[in-house]
Amino acid sequence: MALHLPRWATDCLRRAEPSIAALSVPFALYERQKGAMRLVELDERARAAGLFETQSLSDARAVCPTLEVREIDRPFIEAAFAEFADWHSYASPIVSVLDHAAAYGDLGLDITGASHLFGGEAQMLGKVTERLETLGIAVTGAVADTLGAAWALAHFNPAGVIEGGLADVLAPLPVAALRLEGAQVDGLVQMGLKRIGDLYGRDRRALAARFGASLILRLDQALGDIEERLEPRLPPPDFFVERRFADPIALLDDVLLTAHDLALRLSSDLERAGLGAQSFHLFLYRVDHKVMTLTVKAGRATRDPAHISRLFAHRAERLGGEYDAGFGIDMIRLAASTTSGLGEVQVGAFETKDGTADLDRLYDRMASRLGPEAISRIKFVDTHIPERAMRLEPAIAPTPSRPEAAPNPNLPRPLRLLPRPEAIGVIMAEVPDGPPRGMIWRRVRYDFRKASGPERIAAEWWTSADLVESSRGLAAPPDNAVLFDAGAVTRDYFVVEDDGGRRFWLFREGYYRPENEPCWFMHGFFA
Amino acid sequence: MHNVVREQRLADLRERIATIERRPLLGEGMALPGDRTGAGGQRNAVLKAPPGLLHEVFADEQRNAGAALGFALGLARPLLTPARPAILVLQLGHETEEAGLPYGPGLSSFGFDPAQLILGRLNNPAELLWAVEEAIACRAVAAVVAEVLVAPKALDFTNSRRLALRAASSGASVLLVRYGQVRESSAARLRWRISPAASQAPPFDARAPGGARFQVVLEKGRLGTGLLEAGIEFLLDWTADGFQPAQGGEAAGGRRDRSRPAVHGAPSAALGDGLSQAG
Repeated sequence: MALHLPRWATDCLRRAEPSIAALSVPFALYERQKGAMRLVELDERARAAGLFETQSLSDARAVCPTLEVREIDRPFIEAAFAEFADWHSYASPIVSVLDHAAAYGDLGLDITGASHLFGGEAQMLGKVTERLETLGIAVTGAVADTLGAAWALAHFNPAGVIEGGLADVLAPLPVAALRLEGAQVDGLVQMGLKRIGDLYGRDRRALAARFGASLILRLDQALGDIEERLEPRLPPPDFFVERRFADPIALLDDVLLTAHDLALRLSSDLERAGLGAQSFHLFLYRVDHKVMTLTVKAGRATRDPAHISRLFAHRAERLGGEYDAGFGIDMIRLAASTTSGLGEVQVGAFETKDGTADLDRLYDRMASRLGPEAISRIKFVDTHIPERAMRLEPAIAPTPSRPEAAPNPNLPRPLRLLPRPEAIGVIMAEVPDGPPRGMIWRRVRYDFRKASGPERIAAEWWTSADLVESSRGLAAPPDNAVLFDAGAVTRDYFVVEDDGGRRFWLFREGYYRPENEPCWFMHGFFA
Repeated sequence: MHNVVREQRLADLRERIATIERRPLLGEGMALPGDRTGAGGQRNAVLKAPPGLLHEVFADEQRNAGAALGFALGLARPLLTPARPAILVLQLGHETEEAGLPYGPGLSSFGFDPAQLILGRLNNPAELLWAVEEAIACRAVAAVVAEVLVAPKALDFTNSRRLALRAASSGASVLLVRYGQVRESSAARLRWRISPAASQAPPFDARAPGGARFQVVLEKGRLGTGLLEAGIEFLLDWTADGFQPAQGGEAAGGRRDRSRPAVHGAPSAALGDGLSQAG
């Protein structure tokens, strides 16, 4: 099925801005092209007033003095169209924006196996277009065996459903219906080949040589000689269940109840296939053509409906004020992806008490409520640089990374490490390259009683800094902070203990040189 | 005649009860050096709190954060069992900038397998409390260590009571690590005050810092009669076998009253109230 929305730009602005919707005069969008302001989008009133695209704005104003114009905001209109396309997945899971002619305005839906839900292809087309028309969006649509033919018909002869005999139906249409480029169409018309039917039976090699191979490709695609596949915007899920509502619902509690019901159905589907899934997506289709997506992830493959619905409940709690049902939700779809084999599990009396399964569920719940980055495992990285030797990995990472060898536990390493070393002032000892006698850190003075070191940690010249994965979740450093290049300098670490028994981990940046003042940093605390 | 037998039996029973009661917690080893080595040649660790309690671990200042976390983890480690293999360490994300993150290699030198620890960085105190409750509801969590640098309003008596009840019913301990000298009313069963203490120098290097040593006061609650009652200050070393009473050397920091022994030399028979019932 192809849908063509000829006046999407003006229609979507009309819906987005009440001030435009209230207009009763011709409305158009213009764009600056090579210094001139030219009309690019017109609404039906402007068209009726005799205006046309590429007309300059001043000419248009002369023809129609009441004309209301805005400058076109293409990114906004394209984003609105993409969202609109996603919403159409209520009808069929495979929806794509056809951007052959323009970046917005054309939709392709693969309705194979979906039309019976609407009572047939014609009824489906009727329902989809009727729904848009009640929203005030101009639309023409067609259903055909090939995407190319549907596109052509939607643009030039919206005839409804065409079955078979594509060549005859397409023959009277102009060649522009083949999704060709402007130059190709001009060239064909110049040669007198104005209709698609004129191309039938011509020498294909000559046509390709003169007008480009894409002409032949488009012709074959339209006639079904070459298969064309839609590239869906949303990846089609492996398993999904959905529920439509006679009346739109709005309450979050109702949504979650529905999610639970859907989870039960999804779970039995998954069980039949012997699978479990690690990510679940809840699509909420709003009446006002928007889709809200909630995604939860599980650390290990699951199909437990209670667990899935609890994860969504936690995820919804995190949503807070972001939840906006608009004018209501009339369909909910629950989809599972990242599936993997999951054998049948004994539950109930003979259940094995598996602590790690409990933990995984706990991490799932926490991650869905607090965000996936909030709960993490400690992973070692095989490096000498202290701040890179530990990495935080989300506890629900779908594939936990291979553990690396633990570092030597006999090396003095602090119990807590500052995310960024902090510059300190030091009171130097008698020995110039020895440990300091005291320091001023965070404006407090500390006198050291004991010290050991140095432990020299050299820069890793064989790794460049940007290759190393830094630990996540740290905020950007403040601009005035004294920074050092983590990968570039040698550091001398000291363990020091002050008069109160606090043990700190300090380092001096670079080698000791008598002529320049060394920089010292505080890096961690021992217990 | 009959009386003598009765008295003997009574004395016998008393002794047996005393043996049972003194077993749990504060090492007999302190008064009886011969008993210090347990069955496997290991020293019996002191300070084993039963599971399912809400503790508060207070340090006076934020710069003692290392000692506070170390002590809390030290209390949590004996709670790890094969059935409860995990400890969660929860912090507020923005506070890690100031107080530092628990550091994997440091944890492994402190005696933990970092796989046993899960770190949580939360956005606000409400999330922190939620996470603590959710975690102790899980039967595979041994303990939750939650640290707040600045006491949030949300952590009031009602919430601490709830945490204490949840902890008692689930059997997982909660250790709240807090800072400052102000004590609010809370339902915590035990309140510790921790400061770092000057360590004992390792052998062969008198000028180097040694292992972790804590100056510990149990401010509230009690673990065992006589020894670990509120208000007594003692020094503990962290070793591979857990907490041990500090040994010899220049044990104390400046403030400590040197006339007092590191651990009160109470007779071991006086040890032990119903620690087994403490949970």
